Amino acid sequence: MSGSVVKVEGVTKRFAGHTAVQHLSMEVPAGGIFGLLGPNGAGKSTTIRMIMNILTPDEGRIALFGAESASRDLSERIGYLPEERGLYKKMRVGDHLIFLGEAKGIARSSARQKAGAWLERLGIADWTMKKVEDLSKGMQQKVQFIGALLHDPDLLLLDEPFSGLDPVNSQVMKDVVVELARSGKTILFSTHIMEQAEKMCDHIVIIARGLKVVDGALADVKREFGGRHIALSFTRNGDRAALVLGDRSLVDRVDDYGASAEVQLAPGADPDRLLRALVQGDVGLARFEVVEASLQSIFIAKVGADAATAPAQEMVHA
Amino acid sequence: MRKVIAVIRREFIERVRTRAFVISTILFPLLMTMFTVLPAILLRRASGTKHVAVVEGVEGTFGIRATEALLASRRRDTSAPIPFEVERFAAVGRVDAVRDSILSRTGLSRKRQVADGFDGVLVLTEETLVSGKIQYYGTNVGSIAEMRRLEGILQPVVQRERLERLGVDPGVVLKAVGRVDLITQKVAEGKLTGQSGEATFGLAYGMVFILYLTLMIYGSQVMTSVVEEKSSRIIEVLASSLRPFELMLGKVVGVGLVGLFQLSIWAATALYLGSFGASFMGRMGGDPGDAAAAAASAGGPSFLAAISPALVVIFLVLFILGFLFYAAMFAAVGSMCSTVQDTQQVMMPVTLPIMLGIMTIFALVNDPNGTLGRVITFIPFWAPFALPVRYSITPLPLGEVLASIAMMVLSVIAVAWVAGRVYRVGILSYGKKASFRDMARWIRTA
Repeated sequence: MSGSVVKVEGVTKRFAGHTAVQHLSMEVPAGGIFGLLGPNGAGKSTTIRMIMNILTPDEGRIALFGAESASRDLSERIGYLPEERGLYKKMRVGDHLIFLGEAKGIARSSARQKAGAWLERLGIADWTMKKVEDLSKGMQQKVQFIGALLHDPDLLLLDEPFSGLDPVNSQVMKDVVVELARSGKTILFSTHIMEQAEKMCDHIVIIARGLKVVDGALADVKREFGGRHIALSFTRNGDRAALVLGDRSLVDRVDDYGASAEVQLAPGADPDRLLRALVQGDVGLARFEVVEASLQSIFIAKVGADAATAPAQEMVHA
Repeated sequence: MRKVIAVIRREFIERVRTRAFVISTILFPLLMTMFTVLPAILLRRASGTKHVAVVEGVEGTFGIRATEALLASRRRDTSAPIPFEVERFAAVGRVDAVRDSILSRTGLSRKRQVADGFDGVLVLTEETLVSGKIQYYGTNVGSIAEMRRLEGILQPVVQRERLERLGVDPGVVLKAVGRVDLITQKVAEGKLTGQSGEATFGLAYGMVFILYLTLMIYGSQVMTSVVEEKSSRIIEVLASSLRPFELMLGKVVGVGLVGLFQLSIWAATALYLGSFGASFMGRMGGDPGDAAAAAASAGGPSFLAAISPALVVIFLVLFILGFLFYAAMFAAVGSMCSTVQDTQQVMMPVTLPIMLGIMTIFALVNDPNGTLGRVITFIPFWAPFALPVRYSITPLPLGEVLASIAMMVLSVIAVAWVAGRVYRVGILSYGKKASFRDMARWIRTA
């Protein structure tokens, strides 16, 4: 499998009153982890739903594995974890997973065996015979996660896979995702948590208000964003530090976290000058490091603070 | 196809496994049995020996004859106690006084407070012979069966007395006015089927009732299940894995099989309790007065014996087609709603024809080959009711049967196609409940 696994071309989707996705084009390369990033209500889920053929685009085309057939005809090769989690509450966990596997087109016996293996791996094998409704929310999410990848798909679409999970379970699922990507699978996941995306993604697309604002390999995106960035943290005299960072001849932009900050230097400014100014200010420097821009700062810069808090309006109407 | 089977299996197993299924499967025949057996038992129980006083205000043999007739009366069930014990009181000229004195002892015999108490007082006067009105004061006047029995016993006695007074030989008249009875037997294809009229009605009623019940219970289960998949959002995963039509088909067939499964459990139970069934059908068909008799005679024509293999086939074929027809509509209606509450309003157009269907039986039984019967045999909403009922009552030409079935098959395909289009859009539409105008748009554009 070479080339792009998912190809979205000039796709637009309108709902009553607003445009959720506007002329979006993107290509998900085969293998690796692709992050679809954006603030709440940006159109991430709408895009994923269109890729999954749950919604039909008003304009544009979507091709999967180079073919323009509907995703459900390729359902054996695609796994999907929707943003809105849903399981049959009265079904037993084991039966449920077998059914999801069968619905994807794999044989019953193999579904049973794989379900068993995954339940074991994610540490919920004891719950196989329990009803879904008896499980905690986190466990239900694991069950649904298993349901998405049970049939060993080539392409896995995960819509906000880590939301609502505690750090331990988050870690377990992240490990699975990374492992799948290493074995050559393609993973497309959406999130609005940048730290996570930064650690995992090979390739990102950022969309805001339905429009694509960033697209590219993570390393390229960072390089293109350019500028020199300095990560710093200090222990005292925050007001004086703020004064130094407010000097527009030195600093172009500050992502201020109180006791720490990520700073983009003004063009032509020298990091040494900033360091000197901070030392003079006696702010008790704990860290001063010239770094690449973080995804978070790129995101904020590209999307803008106002769009980051755009109202979530992902009403689904056909 | 494998995916459809997976959906069918899930629907079937998850449903049959529920406590509700087990309970309803057991409870329904139990209730039916109670309805059939209990009245028979109650009727038998109520028919202990009644102690009756005959107050005789007429000269001559009238009182004696009435007494003898009461004493001679027997139940059909010979093992039951005799119905009446009688004591005569001559009271010519002082009827009221005697009656009142006896009434004071009436209604007490059961409590054994007065050893010679009475359950009823029968007053015979000259007036009786003229008007035919006999005064009866009793504790059991509410029992229609009991009163009919009394009337039946006394009528020939009164008639005989009248005839004799007119100087006519009662023997001659009795011969002349001998009762006329229709012994009904169904003829089909030139052969006697041994099926009585009562059994015919019972059978038709049974078939229609089962169809009605299944459509209402399992049809609406299809609808609820569609809504639940929507509200739990599992539909997103399903819709991305299966074609909506596969999903709908699997669901309708799966739920339908649960209905058939339950039906076959009940059929087995009915066969087992066949004798009770016969008495029930006797009760349904006969007038209340005959109920006790019909209930007592277990040897009567069983409605089960009246079922021919051809009828079973026709019933099952129409049952399945009818279920598919209505269940597809229920699925479409379910897909238009986001919550179970919403369905209450939009399910009317589906449930109304089903309710009308059960009502057609009365017209069909009266006139199976009338215009109404012939027409609705070719309307898909009611053909599943009409065809088996008509076939069970009267022989139908094979052509008409096949034409009706063909019409039904085509209708099922058409409804499935339309419902599939509504369903395809509906299952992924959230927010407000879709209107029928929305539905029309989905059908056109989907």
